[in-house]
Amino acid sequence: MKHSKLYDTLFLAPGFLIYLIFMIVPVVMCFLYSFTNWDGISVTYRIIGLKNFENLFRDASFYQAMQVTVIIMIVTTLIYNVLGIILATLLNDKGKLLGISRSAIFIPTVMSSVVVAFIWSYMVQTNGGVINSVIELLGGQTVDFYRTPTTTIFMISGIICWNSLGFFVVIYISTLSTIPQEIYEACMVDGAGWFQRFFHITLPLLAPGITINCILAVAGGLKQYDHVKVITGGGPGGATQTVTLFSVEKAFEYNRRGYSSAAVIILFLIIVILSVIQLSISKRHEVEY
Amino acid sequence: MKRTLSLLVAVALLMGLFAGVSLAETAKAKIVFCVNIQPQLPVEFWQSIADKYMAANPDVDVEIIGQPSSNVDIFQYEKTLLATGQFPDVMVMQNPADFVPSGALLAFEDSELDYLADPNIGKIGGKQYVANYKKQVIGVFYNKDIFAANGLEVPTTYQAFLDVCEALKAKEILPVSLGIKDGWPQIMLANMIAGTDLLAKNPNWGSERNADTVKFNNPELVKAMEKYQYICQNYAGDSLPSITYTQMLEQFFTGKAAMLPMGSWVNAEVAKAQQDFEVGWFPMPGDNDASVLSVFVNEGISISATSKYPEVCKDFVKFFFTNTDLYSYFLSSEQLFATTKASVPYEMIPLRQYIEQAIAGMTEVEGFESMTGDAAFLPGLKDYYTNKLTQNIALGNDVATELSNFDNEWTIAKEAMN
Repeated sequence: MKHSKLYDTLFLAPGFLIYLIFMIVPVVMCFLYSFTNWDGISVTYRIIGLKNFENLFRDASFYQAMQVTVIIMIVTTLIYNVLGIILATLLNDKGKLLGISRSAIFIPTVMSSVVVAFIWSYMVQTNGGVINSVIELLGGQTVDFYRTPTTTIFMISGIICWNSLGFFVVIYISTLSTIPQEIYEACMVDGAGWFQRFFHITLPLLAPGITINCILAVAGGLKQYDHVKVITGGGPGGATQTVTLFSVEKAFEYNRRGYSSAAVIILFLIIVILSVIQLSISKRHEVEY
Repeated sequence: MKRTLSLLVAVALLMGLFAGVSLAETAKAKIVFCVNIQPQLPVEFWQSIADKYMAANPDVDVEIIGQPSSNVDIFQYEKTLLATGQFPDVMVMQNPADFVPSGALLAFEDSELDYLADPNIGKIGGKQYVANYKKQVIGVFYNKDIFAANGLEVPTTYQAFLDVCEALKAKEILPVSLGIKDGWPQIMLANMIAGTDLLAKNPNWGSERNADTVKFNNPELVKAMEKYQYICQNYAGDSLPSITYTQMLEQFFTGKAAMLPMGSWVNAEVAKAQQDFEVGWFPMPGDNDASVLSVFVNEGISISATSKYPEVCKDFVKFFFTNTDLYSYFLSSEQLFATTKASVPYEMIPLRQYIEQAIAGMTEVEGFESMTGDAAFLPGLKDYYTNKLTQNIALGNDVATELSNFDNEWTIAKEAMN
């Protein structure tokens, strides 16, 4: 069959056009706005150079938002990967119950994050929440999950992980399925136990899965918005505000679209830099077989 | 030849027909009305305004639009509409000061708002951009049965209020139903105290702050916010950070809490009559008496400066206020106070009637964070006051430091406007 470049272009055009309009153009516009004083509603604006970036680095609430974002990113990345590998290893077998377990772990992933956040916000309520009702029923003391900003951030991180862990487990299971059984068999013949097999075969050969999962977890953690928005709205007193929430607040409450764009650009650069670093580190640890 | 002639005649007739349609269409003015859809004011209510106006004015089409989702703030959504070139002709408006610098709103002439009792409320630079459609008052709703059972009187001084709280706490009754999780309910208490201790003493304080001749971190406001903090820390229970507005209402209406500092829209909840006790109301007392009343007059209807039909829009706004059926339904939805010259009767619950009598003669000040006109907070500061300042103070942060931070935010917001 004759392959025509014209046909290729024609078939690619609709998808590329959508990507261009809804992804590339907004990113470029955001980059441009970050150098302006645009309020988001006026027709005119001025170019103010790096003023927005200067102000951001002097803004205590931006640092606080960055701190919260980084904590959420670290906690969720650790849980996704440590718990993800453990669960994937346990579920990487055959059997009816394992199929059900895999589905059970994956189901929250297909649920809307907003729905999940709403459900959990009712679960963790201090007065009348499901968890506290059960604790009270068992004669225990109620737990105030919102008592301090730190407990609230960890609670939110846990909810985020409950929502998305299944996705990371699936990636680990699929990576595990690519590891040849012969290697394990050879290892067992040499007398290696479960821990030795896990640390000397499973973990090194899982490196491609770890790479992709770490990149996705770090980027997802840094972009966190919906769960925090629903559960705390960034409160109390901005103590759980992430950079994305900070950015939306500055854009729509403060009428500072340029400033908000600058915050997003910084986040974008951090994600790019971290992803590149992770890729270079992970590539060094990936094993060829 | 004959066929060609027939074709030409047909084309000419068709063109005439389309021209007629086109003319008819352009003759009919179409305006878009952006509304705030809420459970008590559903889209059907707003549509009924449009329908009645269109029935009275067949040459006008009114399209109703609202926020795309119940969790979208309509006043933020309007900014998005403006930024994307879809700004409506007529809209409900809460923060005109956010829109006026961009030239988005049309100023009313004083004579065009002659149906309002006070058309001067909230003027910006001497011009009125909003036809204010409601007034709400803030006060303390209380459980009369709990007060009676514990021999408590309605407090008329701040110290008496603390004594009541202390007596209730001693009886293991939650004195004040308060929570900060939703961000805004705690500001009612803060507003009342700031209104009494600051705004009543200097009615121009908001304008002076905007002129940068006074600071948030001043002795009067520090004292007011320390009072607010004391109540939050000592009489609002241990779950302050996790209590939502709904839970605040639940605590009060189930008799778990004795008092609820809130706006007069709570009358609508009282009207549902699900509580098994009598609800009373008193204004938050100051040091010496209870003579200052905080009110919200920061919401109304505005017109776009770029509307093709400004006169139709003004007529539509007037129609809303002067159609007694529509306006009385609007007021009854939250047992509101009318802003029109003409009195607009509606079915009021006894508590609402009592409040109307109780507030007569009191000194009115605007809600601290919702001051209007030239006194209005700069863009973003209302959000800061609601979601950061009053929450941090409620949680026990140092008041003077928090107010200094608020002053810093003011400086940043001012710089951003230049």
